[in-house]
Amino acid sequence: MVTIVNYGLGNLFSVAKAFEMIGADVTVSSNPKDIESADHIVMPGVGAFGNGMMFLKEKGLDTVLTEQVIEKKKPFLGICLGLQLLAEIGEEHGAHEGLGWIEGKVRTIDTKGEDLKIPHVGWNNLVVTQDNPLLTDINSNADFYFVHSYQLECTNPNDRIATTTYGETITAAIWHENIFATQFHPEKSQDAGLKLLENFLSYTH
Amino acid sequence: MLKVRLIPTLLLLDGRMIKTKQFGEYRDVGNPRTVAKVYDAQGVDELIFLDITASEENRHFVFDIIAAVAEECFIPLTVGGGIRTLEQAREMLAHGADKVAINTAAIEHPKFITEIANKFGNSTVVVSIDYKKNTEGKNEVFTHRGTEPTGLDPVEWAKEAESLGAGEILLTCIDREGMMNGYDLEVLKQVTSAVTIPVTASGGVGTIQDLVDGIVEGGASAVSAASIFHFTDQSIFKAHSHMKEKGLSVRKKA
Amino acid sequence: MRRCTKCVVPETQDMISFDEQGVCATCQQIEYKHEKIDWKERRKEFEEILEQHRGKGAYDCIIPFSGGKDSTYTAWSLIREFNLKPLIVSFDHGFYRPKMLQDTERVVKKLGGDFLRFKSDWQVVKKLMKESLIRKGDIMWHSHCGIYAFPMHVAVKFKIPLIIWGEPTSEYVSYYSYEENEQVDEKRFNRVVNLGINAEDMVGMLDDSVTLRDLEPYTYPKLKDLRDIGYRSICQGTYIPWDTKKQSEIIRDELGWTGDQVEGIPFERYWYEKVEDGFQGVQDYLKWLKRGWSRMTHLASIDIRNGRMTREEGMAMIEKYEGFRPASLDVFLKAIDMDDEEFHEIALKHVVSPHVPPDWRKLPRGPELPDQKDWTINIDLE
Repeated sequence: MVTIVNYGLGNLFSVAKAFEMIGADVTVSSNPKDIESADHIVMPGVGAFGNGMMFLKEKGLDTVLTEQVIEKKKPFLGICLGLQLLAEIGEEHGAHEGLGWIEGKVRTIDTKGEDLKIPHVGWNNLVVTQDNPLLTDINSNADFYFVHSYQLECTNPNDRIATTTYGETITAAIWHENIFATQFHPEKSQDAGLKLLENFLSYTH
Repeated sequence: MLKVRLIPTLLLLDGRMIKTKQFGEYRDVGNPRTVAKVYDAQGVDELIFLDITASEENRHFVFDIIAAVAEECFIPLTVGGGIRTLEQAREMLAHGADKVAINTAAIEHPKFITEIANKFGNSTVVVSIDYKKNTEGKNEVFTHRGTEPTGLDPVEWAKEAESLGAGEILLTCIDREGMMNGYDLEVLKQVTSAVTIPVTASGGVGTIQDLVDGIVEGGASAVSAASIFHFTDQSIFKAHSHMKEKGLSVRKKA
Repeated sequence: MRRCTKCVVPETQDMISFDEQGVCATCQQIEYKHEKIDWKERRKEFEEILEQHRGKGAYDCIIPFSGGKDSTYTAWSLIREFNLKPLIVSFDHGFYRPKMLQDTERVVKKLGGDFLRFKSDWQVVKKLMKESLIRKGDIMWHSHCGIYAFPMHVAVKFKIPLIIWGEPTSEYVSYYSYEENEQVDEKRFNRVVNLGINAEDMVGMLDDSVTLRDLEPYTYPKLKDLRDIGYRSICQGTYIPWDTKKQSEIIRDELGWTGDQVEGIPFERYWYEKVEDGFQGVQDYLKWLKRGWSRMTHLASIDIRNGRMTREEGMAMIEKYEGFRPASLDVFLKAIDMDDEEFHEIALKHVVSPHVPPDWRKLPRGPELPDQKDWTINIDLE
């Protein structure tokens, strides 16, 4: 069972349909019991860091997620805001505390003086910085869909498994023990994205 | 490297896809659900659905269409047409849309842009701007499918929309729509130079080179077209391939 | 109009791209096919797939069959070489030629195998040919869709999960490359087959006399239904190297398959090519009007890629055989009740730049095929 965490933010419908397309049993839920009974946990998210944390806390999801992911080590995939919330601090509209599962902070994208539009919207390719189970058997030239204005700056470079370039080098994907997360949207990245989700499903810790 | 985006626009009327000319006469061009699947199979970057259904009782079709498309096409979907309340935006997003395009409602209540941005994220708000030359020969923003003048200048309105929290702008030149004579590059360039958010150009594509011009000369981040893919033998493949040949960075075959 | 520097296909081919030397993607794909594929390995993969399905259920697989050289070869190969028990499924678009029908009788009787032929409603087909011409400058929408969708319906209804087609598209065009694992599925249907029009689109384009029920044979089955039978739809040409010339000779020698004269190409050299469709001449003519090249270019390119012709010879053949108004156009126009003027006006709306078509009124007429008067279409026109 794949449980997609509903904390009020995110394109839950598409994420659910993507997992269904690859044959998974899916539940979209904000009920802690569904997270407890999940084999794989997915946390999507679109929106502001502060709101994200607020909603997670309101529903008590931060506690149950920490228990299931950090203690019970269930495979976890965070998407977009769901990656950013894993950080210690988020700087969007003021400083906010994140889940703190990954060392680092979320700050605005530095376009390095180039005339680039913000948010970073569209298809961009990855540079894989470490071998990892999430991106296996995916064409190294594949593009994935990004849409964000902030990025997760990892304190520990070993947590990063892929980056992309937009002005600066941006964290595209992370992996820490049983925790995976992508800044891009695999459920919006056609075949390459679906393959990534398949890889995540096959992962056992 | 960030790729330029090719985004077909699907115009919906009472659950069917149509194509208009200068926002006027229209022709049935298919079933939106199956047309979306064709575009998806051909490797488009995103899809925009604009619902121009006037009657309230037929507006529900679009939810079913989006949900059906989102079940099989895993690319970003933008939906617009008659979205006036936060609840409508929420419902659209819950049915599988990634972004909502707002037009008339944003002009009548500009704070609506901020409301949606705050609740769902800036990236979910696309402000759709339709403009044409008014009787004095000056560019003016029009609402209600090009029938109601607003007194607004498209460049100024785009800037204001950005400041209110819009994530992207969808710019359509009504005079050019369906005419297949190219984008209005002059105004496009003025808008793309005035804002720091991405702009999608819409209205007028007749040849594949027009798509290239929209990006290179117009400064657009994404280009939209409809007529060219319905009424000619031009395909998405050819479009991407030509754009690539002209030096633009496009997505590789899916 | 620019052409590939190696073969003779011009830039107006859909999906074409050229490398720095001006060599087209299809030529590159064929080079890859000849040089980089471990065909032994692929054949092993093929045999493994067949083993997974052999003996399960009433039939081992479906073989979609037109009676042309490719599907006849696949039928021969799967039955005689690989010892499968297939259900041979033929979608009949309404204009199979008399000799083709005879050949099919002979082939199927000699090979053995249960054979299912489905002919769709000709009165509906005529409307579809006309609308397809108007929308896309192509008269065969019903044929493209029926050929690829109908066998999938049979798979679902008869619960036969394995469907084996003949050549992969990467042999002629670059929608897929030989590196990719080309599945003959709905994505391919939408990408390559149906001209971008599904049955659900077509029904809104026609008048009320045609409903979605009438278009069932052209509608791709639901993904869920296909997944429920565990479907797998593959090309034999992904696993064994396709060679149409050699394969045509095999079916000629083993089964007495005879081939036929076709408009616009020399019979002696291409006796095996595209022999099944009466309206192929019209379809090829449309391509020539829209894109400036036709079947001779296509065949010459294949020969060049396989080392059987030089580029100069190819260009000379094109000069000799392309640019004729086919005699069969008269039959077609009668069938859909349209005149020459209207036909050409519609066709010319679909010209692909940068091709500039010549004045069609000045084109010479091609010779009438010997069997044209015997086509079954003529029954309807009496």
